[in-house]
Amino acid sequence: MPVETKPVALSNETEKNSCIAALHARAGLSGPVIAALGLFSLVVPLLPGEFPTIVGVEILILSLFAGSFNLIYGYMGQMSFGQGAFFGLGAYATALLCRWYQAGSTDIGYMQFFLALLLAIPVSALGALVVGFFLVRLTGIYFSILSMAFGELLFYIVFSWYSFTGGDDGIQGIYPPALLRDPHYYYYFTLAIVAVATFLLWRISRSPFGYTLRMLRDNQRRTAFVGVNIRWAMLLNFVLAGTFAGVAGALWGPFQRSVSPTLLGWMQSGSPVFMTLIGGADFFAGPFVGALIYTVLNAYVTRFTVFWPLTIGTIILIIVLFFPGGILSIIDGRLSRNRGSRDS
Amino acid sequence: MPSDLSSFLIQLFSGLSRAMMLFLVASGLSLIFGVMNILNFAHASLWLLGGYVTFSLYQAFSIGFGQHGFLLIPAILLGTVCMFGIGWLIERVLIRRTYAYELPEQLLLTFAMILIIGDLIKLIWGVQNRRIFLPIEPIEAFGGFINPYLFIVIGCGFGIAAALWFFLHRTRYGKIVRAAVHSREMVSALGIRIPAIYAGVYAMGVAIAAFSAGVFLPIMPIGLGLDMDLIVQCFAVVVIGGFGSILGTFVASLIVGILYSFSVLIWPGGALAIIFLILVTVLIIRPWGLFGTEMRF
Repeated sequence: MPVETKPVALSNETEKNSCIAALHARAGLSGPVIAALGLFSLVVPLLPGEFPTIVGVEILILSLFAGSFNLIYGYMGQMSFGQGAFFGLGAYATALLCRWYQAGSTDIGYMQFFLALLLAIPVSALGALVVGFFLVRLTGIYFSILSMAFGELLFYIVFSWYSFTGGDDGIQGIYPPALLRDPHYYYYFTLAIVAVATFLLWRISRSPFGYTLRMLRDNQRRTAFVGVNIRWAMLLNFVLAGTFAGVAGALWGPFQRSVSPTLLGWMQSGSPVFMTLIGGADFFAGPFVGALIYTVLNAYVTRFTVFWPLTIGTIILIIVLFFPGGILSIIDGRLSRNRGSRDS
Repeated sequence: MPSDLSSFLIQLFSGLSRAMMLFLVASGLSLIFGVMNILNFAHASLWLLGGYVTFSLYQAFSIGFGQHGFLLIPAILLGTVCMFGIGWLIERVLIRRTYAYELPEQLLLTFAMILIIGDLIKLIWGVQNRRIFLPIEPIEAFGGFINPYLFIVIGCGFGIAAALWFFLHRTRYGKIVRAAVHSREMVSALGIRIPAIYAGVYAMGVAIAAFSAGVFLPIMPIGLGLDMDLIVQCFAVVVIGGFGSILGTFVASLIVGILYSFSVLIWPGGALAIIFLILVTVLIIRPWGLFGTEMRF
């Protein structure tokens, strides 16, 4: 009957609209904004001076790092204070193999360099597997404490193992191959890797596994009740997050030309937490926007003052107290602060 | 020549003194968590701040009244009172606003406090390590030499532990605090002003930590970064002992402190690994700790 079909069609239309709105809320940014940011990321190296490019590389690497953290926090609902450990493991794996290939010189072949980068994946995944094996048995406050404890433990191992890691001196003189020593080329190289990794993260967040993680966040008991092996799901996610962090770390070492144990330290573990919080953990784009803001602030604030922790601490304080949903939730006023009803 | 027995005893005493410091910091952490359900990441940073405040007070007294070791006593007491006030203020201004929030926001708030306090210390006191030199000669005991101040430290630790036990079990306020650990709603329903209890407990925890930092100044130099070392060990202590249980914290401090001290002797650098092994074992087998109750998990 035609009289009935019209309201049905209308309700379908509104449903579709609300679905699209929800999709935007999940991403945190609308399509045009993402496209504009993507275009902008392509032209960053064309800006005058090397400084924007260098900051750009840092933003790319750290946004991948923060994105990996948000798999654990935003999606799985656990606060990890030890994500820096996997960033550092990845960085050290690449740096050690690079040093071995370089054998005292500054030359390294392209294949060898890519192999060194690839090594970060199994090393950080293995590290995350071992740590995760213990961590996934816990939730909430205990998860946070143990993740921080493991991070500090790995830091001390790297810090005190002079013969292998160089101790607190770290490893200096890690060079990428000739072409990539130019920050502009390294920028595009990093952009390509981070883009692929971000696409993978996005796919994970949209996959059934991603929805399982949200379910784990909202109610673990029910998740187990519908037949999900929660330990396995948490462990898999922890390993995935650790691996992405490791890839980010692998890119970091050759760019900075050195690695040091502080890459595994608590301050390094704190930075993705801060970035995600600044951007908004409820959104896929949250950690990426947060990394952008955090790194740009860091780059410019540290020109004026050495008291960067004080600055970022105060910013975090203000955000926690007054804007607990992050920057994107201010822009996107549709989202309520209720954790139960959110859908990232 | 120190015999095996004497080096054993000396190591035992240094372990005991370490255990006392762990207990004094961790007991506040445990109480704060037990009563308010806030994990105070910044506790060791406040401990460090307390040490610096006491150091400055001691210096000010030395300038005012001339160099004398006993001036440390009023400096510690005044430092403790100062940190009580600072703790009260922090609870009133910052922590209070996050009770309605969820765990991550509370963790982040105290995590941000670590950064702020650490940088404030750098701003005010600089980056050098600070310590107080007391003209104390090591005495000969147990066939070796030992700093008699260690005994004062251990005595202070046991004294505070006993005072804390007395406060919690024999005084009206202590009983209210213990009741609040079990059920805040019930205590509040009985007409007791929970907000005042919260501020008091937080300030007390901070003050005890500051006291321990002051007492330890003559035997342990304080410096930036020590707070992160300590907080991780305190978490280990509190988790092993069980959140909210003072007895558990005491026993766990003794275990961790003495183990730490002996492992330095046998396997330097492995101390942390051993503590972690215990921590991981406890977290997996009994996540609520040796003396905690499962209910609070």
